[in-house]
Amino acid sequence: MQQRVRNAMAIASAAGSHVDPVPDTQGRWYVFARNLHTVFSAATANRGAKLGFFLVLALIVVAIFAPLIAPYPADQMGAGMSLLPPNGDYWFGTDEFGRDIFSRVIYGARLTIQVGLIAVGISLTIGTITGLVAGYAGGWTERVLMRLVDVVFSFTETLIALAAVAVLGPSLTNAMIAVGVAAIPFYARVAYSVTLVERNRAYFDAAYVAGAGHLRLIFVHLLPNIVPPLIVVATLGVSSAVLAAAGLSFLGLGAQPPSPEWGAMLSAGRDYFTLAPWIMIYPGVAIMIVVLAFNLLGDGIREALDPRQKS
Amino acid sequence: MDRYLLQRSLAALLTIWITTIAVSMLIHLVPGDPVQIMYAQSQGTTPEELEEVRQRLGLNEPLVVQYVQYMGRVLQGNLGTTIRGEQPVLELLLERLPNTLALAGAALLIACVIGLVSGFIAAYKRGSWLDTSLMTTAILGVSMPHFWLGLILLFFFAVRLQWFPVAGNGIENLVLPAVTLGVTNAAIIARLTRSSMIDVFDQDFIRTARAKGLPKAMVLYGHALRAGLVPIVTMIGLQFTYMMGGAIVVENVFGWNGVGRMAIQAIFQRDYPLIQGFILMFACIVVTVSLLMDVIYAWLDPRIRY
Amino acid sequence: MSVRMTVALTGAILLGIAAPTMADDIVWARDGDIDSLDPHRATSTLSRQVWYQIYDSLLEFNDAGEPVPNLAESWEVADDGTEVTFTLAEGIVCHDGSPFNADDVVWTAERALGEDNPSLTKASWGPITSVDKVDDLTVSFKFSKPFGAFVPFMADQFTSMLCDTNADADGFGVSSALGTGPWKFASWTKGSEIVLGKNADYVNRGRPVDNDGAPFADRLVVRTMPEAQTRVAGLRTGELNVIAPPIQEVKSLQEDEAVDVHVATGTGQNMFLQFAVNRPPFDDARARRAVSHAIDKDMAIQVVYGDLVERQYCPISRGVFGNDPEFCKQYDQDYDPEQAQALLSELGYGPDNPMEVTLATWTGDSRERMLQMIQNQLSQVGIQANIEVMDIGTLNARDTQENNREEGPGYMDLMGWTWFDPDLLYLLWHSPGAYEGFHTPELDAILEEMRSTVEPEARKEVVQQAFKILLEEAGQVPIYTPGWAWLYAVSADTPGFKIGPFNRAQFAAMQP
Repeated sequence: MQQRVRNAMAIASAAGSHVDPVPDTQGRWYVFARNLHTVFSAATANRGAKLGFFLVLALIVVAIFAPLIAPYPADQMGAGMSLLPPNGDYWFGTDEFGRDIFSRVIYGARLTIQVGLIAVGISLTIGTITGLVAGYAGGWTERVLMRLVDVVFSFTETLIALAAVAVLGPSLTNAMIAVGVAAIPFYARVAYSVTLVERNRAYFDAAYVAGAGHLRLIFVHLLPNIVPPLIVVATLGVSSAVLAAAGLSFLGLGAQPPSPEWGAMLSAGRDYFTLAPWIMIYPGVAIMIVVLAFNLLGDGIREALDPRQKS
Repeated sequence: MDRYLLQRSLAALLTIWITTIAVSMLIHLVPGDPVQIMYAQSQGTTPEELEEVRQRLGLNEPLVVQYVQYMGRVLQGNLGTTIRGEQPVLELLLERLPNTLALAGAALLIACVIGLVSGFIAAYKRGSWLDTSLMTTAILGVSMPHFWLGLILLFFFAVRLQWFPVAGNGIENLVLPAVTLGVTNAAIIARLTRSSMIDVFDQDFIRTARAKGLPKAMVLYGHALRAGLVPIVTMIGLQFTYMMGGAIVVENVFGWNGVGRMAIQAIFQRDYPLIQGFILMFACIVVTVSLLMDVIYAWLDPRIRY
Repeated sequence: MSVRMTVALTGAILLGIAAPTMADDIVWARDGDIDSLDPHRATSTLSRQVWYQIYDSLLEFNDAGEPVPNLAESWEVADDGTEVTFTLAEGIVCHDGSPFNADDVVWTAERALGEDNPSLTKASWGPITSVDKVDDLTVSFKFSKPFGAFVPFMADQFTSMLCDTNADADGFGVSSALGTGPWKFASWTKGSEIVLGKNADYVNRGRPVDNDGAPFADRLVVRTMPEAQTRVAGLRTGELNVIAPPIQEVKSLQEDEAVDVHVATGTGQNMFLQFAVNRPPFDDARARRAVSHAIDKDMAIQVVYGDLVERQYCPISRGVFGNDPEFCKQYDQDYDPEQAQALLSELGYGPDNPMEVTLATWTGDSRERMLQMIQNQLSQVGIQANIEVMDIGTLNARDTQENNREEGPGYMDLMGWTWFDPDLLYLLWHSPGAYEGFHTPELDAILEEMRSTVEPEARKEVVQQAFKILLEEAGQVPIYTPGWAWLYAVSADTPGFKIGPFNRAQFAAMQP
């Protein structure tokens, strides 16, 4: 929710980013791979992006190996005494049921990855297809689709996510869907504006003249070329999605107890703030680090792709 | 320019119209029986009584008829009554709206002051340690979940230090929520201000002015700021809609008596008339503000001719 | 930017600023607001607590929980039980100065029972055929059949007596509310505060509080403050006099000499588990018993609430007619995980085929923590429970929906009801029942008999027959009492606060 404006900026600059057009003779996989390489080298060239990249990598490692890293299962009551402050055995302390907060935060990383994948997956897929089709088809299709996108865009994401949860009912899955749906317009707009540019390039005309069908033109010729800016938006999108889903869980509209989702942990911890502030502090720090990581990475890639943004 | 504004106004109307359709259909998207959910608080409601409610709400009519009836009521300023307590929805919303606007407005003020100043300094001192540390702070600020920051401020300043009274809806109670919402957004404004000012500083007329030896201050305020203002104003328009969205969460952290807190309660209580009213009102505000921003933008930057 | 600023300034000007509280005020902070000032239009405890300050009922409950005279100085039940006649006290005056008499009683009852938008709790009034004014101070209620629970119901907040001048007032229930109670309604800023002024002419005829006349304080201000920790902070700084404290803070408040913690007992509240009984697995009593055996109720209570609540053995709460823990203990399920596992394997569940269920409750009062304890204990016997926490209204609807679903995983919830009479069992479990859930023909017959039995000894026997079925069949698994809004932390500077039976907060004797 927080990053509406930044995403808008990302759209503006990503649309104008430069990835040199590649002659289609090299084959579409080459285009795709070359674009990925561009993005990757962009990411590693920037200091902030490098830091972000390693943090994201760390998050993924933590999520995959959670059972090995966490000393206790996330829901194990009586792992320690209740409300122990952080110490050598329980690094982040324990909660009211004696659950180990460190273990819960570690397991929470899995849910965070899920939120990122599912929410961004939804918005990326639907948004990209909408934008591509609108940009490719032109005419009435374009007008109707993009007008709809504008309508959705003109609400804040918060409002759309809330409306979706109001209809679907509170659960983490529904929160992910809600957050994903709310972000569709960003992806659609980027895909649309890049498609407009790509459509006028020589390789597209060549393919068109050669008699390629609609689907082939859209998915084989256009799609690989609009990947870089979408990666920027999707990376920043993960940070927005994580924040938004945690916010919904915090309000009680997302993950339900005893889920170690960070927003939900934070919300449960507020009752103990004066007695045991650590219950609330560590999940908050975890959210912040993950959001920061994706922001750094996304910013880094964007700056590297867009010469105007370099400082 | 008139044509442009006309276009924008039509687009705004279209958005609101689509919203009314979506909102009036909301109740049909709910899984289960909405009427049963709505009347669960009364004891021993018979199926006949529930049927009567369905009839009264017009839920048995074809969707088109329902929409027309809904629009008829909305145009007369009737957004229905809440399920809990049977209170008029519009009245409830309007009672609390000033509180939300005050929160969003105060937060915007804080965000603008901090954001513009630090963004401007960072751009002017580009590449210096000051720039780096300001921008590092900014990215940290952007990454901070504001419900978390809010809770920490609340517990530290209101509960522990007791600097602020905890009860009531006075100005002194506005400080912490406005700071929470403002600070996280100042970071965004700072980053955008910086990049926009860098563009301006790089432009020829500024370089020329500097080379001609005009006093530094004059160059900065007279030329650069004015030129850099245009994109910043647009951005602030977007910020306001964001502030309204952010206010929903922050209000719940601080128990601020605005529409956002009421909306979350309504979602929990499945008070659909109230949820519908809230979405409609919120959408109208957002659309109106964006339209206003377009007008101001067009007025500031006469190059716009669509 | 100028537009933004203007918005900000306008907002600040429009901003409703809470009226400053004065020295002679009592300020009471709770976590939520009332739904309505109209006792026929809401059911929440938060609403009932406030109605009780503004309105009187015909009868009251004394400290022992028995109905005693209040607005009515006497009442008489006809021999066949189909007519109840009340004689009103003389000289009762409404908040607007008009006299309170039989017309007001008839107006209130007809409003509650009328065809057009009746009271949400119309069903509790019983099978009333007519309400008649006999003379200015006498009213009679006629029934199609005897209804034992009617007399105590006349002491409930749902039968708050309204003055008939409310009919002329604009916005009754929202911006106006005329009653005869110790506090007069002054204003309601929704979501924020309700201001009540003292009724200087008040004569206390039945309320169990040490003050026969008007309240000592000038005003009672009821604030909505959702964040528990800020209520505690407000109490400690002296901004607030009475708060609903968070359970987590009760211990530190009890140790604080500047604060008195009051714990309501005899609230009539009962927290219990109930099941979706019309589909597997809980259509089988063995599955319900397995759940009950699997839960160490005493331990769960101890971990979550300490000694702030007590174990509940009977389907109706302690302090309510018929409650008898020793009797109930014979029929309920003891904590016995092995027995639970045996029952589960009889039903075909085991490590390879665990039972999966949904476990729900409503938000607040640390109930979600109680569910986590139960979930944990159920997992020890191989039952996987998924927790869902929702608003009470949603939960009520959900229970009915679950009972009407034929497919899906098992469903149970931690539910709470409060009532002053075992007639509650009729409302809950006589078919179709409040949630269209558990019922048997035998239980139906017993509950019907209970409704029309008036003589206490005989009634108690029937009530206990109902207990036996509910407990043996585990249709209702009682766990603890009270369940909500039963804790009050009061500043020691403002003594005189008292909680009457059925959790009625009394402010009239508080020294501001």
